[in-house]
Order: sequence, then C-alpha cells, then structure tokens
Amino acid sequence: MKRQLTITTEPIDEAALVGARSMSRDLGAAVYFTGVVRGQEEGQAIDAIEYEAFQRMAEHQFQILFGQMEKKWPVESVRLVHRIGVVKVNEPSLWVEVIAPHRAEAFAACQFLIDEMKRVVPIWKKPLEFSDTR
Amino acid sequence: MTIQVSFFSYFKELAGCSQITESVASQCTLGELLEMIYGRFPQLGAMRKSTLVAVGVEYQDRNYRLKDGDEVSLFPPVQGG
Repeated sequence: MKRQLTITTEPIDEAALVGARSMSRDLGAAVYFTGVVRGQEEGQAIDAIEYEAFQRMAEHQFQILFGQMEKKWPVESVRLVHRIGVVKVNEPSLWVEVIAPHRAEAFAACQFLIDEMKRVVPIWKKPLEFSDTR
Repeated sequence: MTIQVSFFSYFKELAGCSQITESVASQCTLGELLEMIYGRFPQLGAMRKSTLVAVGVEYQDRNYRLKDGDEVSLFPPVQGG
C-alpha cells in the first residue's frame, strides 16, 4: 500500500492533491474527506483553531493506523494531510484520500482512519477568537 | 536514572513549563513517576483520569518499567481533525 503522510503548517491545497491522484486501472473507488474548521466550538463563535502536534509520535501513530487499515481492507493507497498551527474558519485542517477496488472498502477504511486518528494521534486544538488572532 | 518529561497542549499551562527532568530509582515504574509528577504539579494530578502517557512514541501503561534516558510525555485526550 502506498502511503503519503504530511503534517504541515502550510495551507492544504485540495485541488493540487486531487490533481496528483494516481490509481491503478482496475480500481474503482477514490474516497476523499476534507475536514474544515467550523465557526463554532462548544457553542462559542470562534475565528480559528490552533492545532498543536507531538509530531514525531503523531507520524508514528499514523503509520500504525495505516498498517491496521491495510490489514483490514484492500487499500492501494492512502494520502493524509493534517495542517497544524493556526487554521481559520472555513479552511481545511485535514485531507484524507483512500483508494481501493470498491466504494464499500474505501469508505470503511477512510472512516476507520479518521475515527482512530481522533483516538490515538497526538494532535490537539485550541479555539481562537478574533481578538486573539490579530 | 534520569527521565525527561514533556507536557503537551494545556498540560503545559497546568505545569507552567513544557519539560522537566526527574531523577528516579532504577526499576521505577511509569506509575511511580506519575505520582511524583502529580505531587509536584497538583493541577496535573486533578487531570489524571483523562491523562494519556507515552514513552518515546508509544503509549504505555502504569506498569511500564522506566529505563535511563526514557522520554515520557503527558497530554490530554487528543483532538485531531
């Protein structure tokens, strides 16, 4: 399984990521998910989220999850980008793509990866109000 | 033995620093180290039920026996995505 993991402070360029897709001729499902910063956090209006990662451990834990995913589903490739630092409302903080033979396994694998990421990958968020980001 | 302990997310604010070094006896367990840390930083002790603990880049439980030079990290539940 091809793996591409990026944890970056740079904005996520969804069009470039989709444009760089590569998949075998006999596969039929490319599922991707974009996580976008909401304008509310626990009922409070916010303007951005600041993401912090324990990067070395985050990369290791993502690789463990990729390995688990590969054992469960026939995934040809996974690409995952997580932005850290300050991410404004309406901007993507997470982009995940899973390529597999059929949609059922592609959706299931993508869902598994995101669910498990939220359980074990050491990344945290801190909501910021507008006055904090100026 | 010397153990480096790092704090992440709001645990840094609770501890008032991002990193400390602790000297512990050989055969010390991670649980024993945590009790030392909670004694030194009571605000962290209040969070013990939800605290996640790693040694290096792996999660470990309280029975893990520390080795000289281990890097221990304490942090709250993760929130990526």
